[in-house]
Amino acid sequence: MTGLELTPGSWILVTALGALLGLDAIAWPQTMISRPIVAGMLGGALFGAPGSGFLAGAWLELVAARHPPFGGARYPETGPAALIAGAAFALSDTRSILPLMAAVLAGWTIGWVGMHAIASLRAYNARLIGDPEVVRGDAAEIARRHRLAIRLDGLRAAALTGTLFVPAVLAVRWLETWGGDPGPASLSVGLAAVGLAALGGVAARVLGGRRQAWPAFVAGGLAGLLLAWWSA
Amino acid sequence: MTPRTSDFTAAFLRSFAVQGSWNYRTMIGGGVAYALLPLLQRIHAGNPVALKESIERHSSAFNAHPYLTPVAIGAFARMEHDGHDAATIERFRAALRGPLGALGDQAVWAGWRPFCTLGATIAFCLGLDPRLAALAFVLVYNAAHLALRVWGLRAGWAHGLDVGRVLKGSPLKAVGARLVPINEALLGTVMVLLLARAPDLVASPTLGGVVATVSLGAFFLPGRAGTVAILALFASCAVWLLP
Repeated sequence: MTGLELTPGSWILVTALGALLGLDAIAWPQTMISRPIVAGMLGGALFGAPGSGFLAGAWLELVAARHPPFGGARYPETGPAALIAGAAFALSDTRSILPLMAAVLAGWTIGWVGMHAIASLRAYNARLIGDPEVVRGDAAEIARRHRLAIRLDGLRAAALTGTLFVPAVLAVRWLETWGGDPGPASLSVGLAAVGLAALGGVAARVLGGRRQAWPAFVAGGLAGLLLAWWSA
Repeated sequence: MTPRTSDFTAAFLRSFAVQGSWNYRTMIGGGVAYALLPLLQRIHAGNPVALKESIERHSSAFNAHPYLTPVAIGAFARMEHDGHDAATIERFRAALRGPLGALGDQAVWAGWRPFCTLGATIAFCLGLDPRLAALAFVLVYNAAHLALRVWGLRAGWAHGLDVGRVLKGSPLKAVGARLVPINEALLGTVMVLLLARAPDLVASPTLGGVVATVSLGAFFLPGRAGTVAILALFASCAVWLLP
């Protein structure tokens, strides 16, 4: 783990930011700074590599696009997950595809842990404010309990981030150290490309919902090829 | 009494926290009551019994897209102000839930939000500074977000019981319907650009063919493709670590 500089100050900063991002997605104020591209960029920027954080966030954005928050659906939490993934990738030595995949998978895992924590909090909230017998039309009581629920959500997100940040960073760096260099065009890189391609296809279908929309998806892919060639 | 501007401002600001106590029994009912409090306290000033009854009414089960909840808050306040009976308000609450949820899901969650995130990602892949790309996303996305909340509270208060007609005539549904196919195209673009930016990846006709086949396969058969995608990412790491 040479070269890793994780100070208590940076841990506190990441934890506080994780609390803010965790709050943003649902409880307050839904400005979408909790989206993976923003949270990932912030995680990378904290450790001097906003571009690496954004890249990890963009992969997680495709992962998250499979789970639109329609109705009361359960979906993986994005803010703390992408913050940690972006930071973990930024803190890797090589910033090659192995730490990128490891960071994305760490973010995916943390997102599901976050979702289960949110579900537990929602069950608790049902007792806290969802029972008319408890609230009884009391304005002050409603306000007190509602604010308490928001504070609990912030604490939940802080606990999630503070607990999982260091293990995720260490896991990504450990994998990187163990894995070595596979060289370009290896099976590993190909599998990552296949994974991204499948994520893109599923996300397009989930968002649009219609098989007939495939020409738009293909046209977008061709436009992407042109843009990639033009910007190379 | 008629609410003052400060009451509307307080309700508007509280509407950002409407999902703060989301729960499986009343969903955002508690949040709606919390946001409505400044308006209800003014409307029922001097009548604690009416205030208590209205708070009980509005803390019961309710759900809506968070950005369109100000429509409900404005309309509920107007109906309380106009003295509608409890049964009418209850029926109106039940009738408003579906449209506010469906409209917001289509226009914002499936339309505007992916449009903005994908646009920012494309800008980043084409060389825009990541901090600027993220900032542009937050600013552009929230310009519409804030406008929608302000419009909603105004429309709800102005039209009360008739707000359904305003929602029906709003361009929200059309905006969502137009953005969805654009987003599908943008997803294709982002997928290719992210591959082009992936570290260590060397483009080849074989890889291009595999990627095209897999992405179209996942598009047409999305059932388990998401799980397969995650497994492929895990396998990517596992293969790397093999001796």
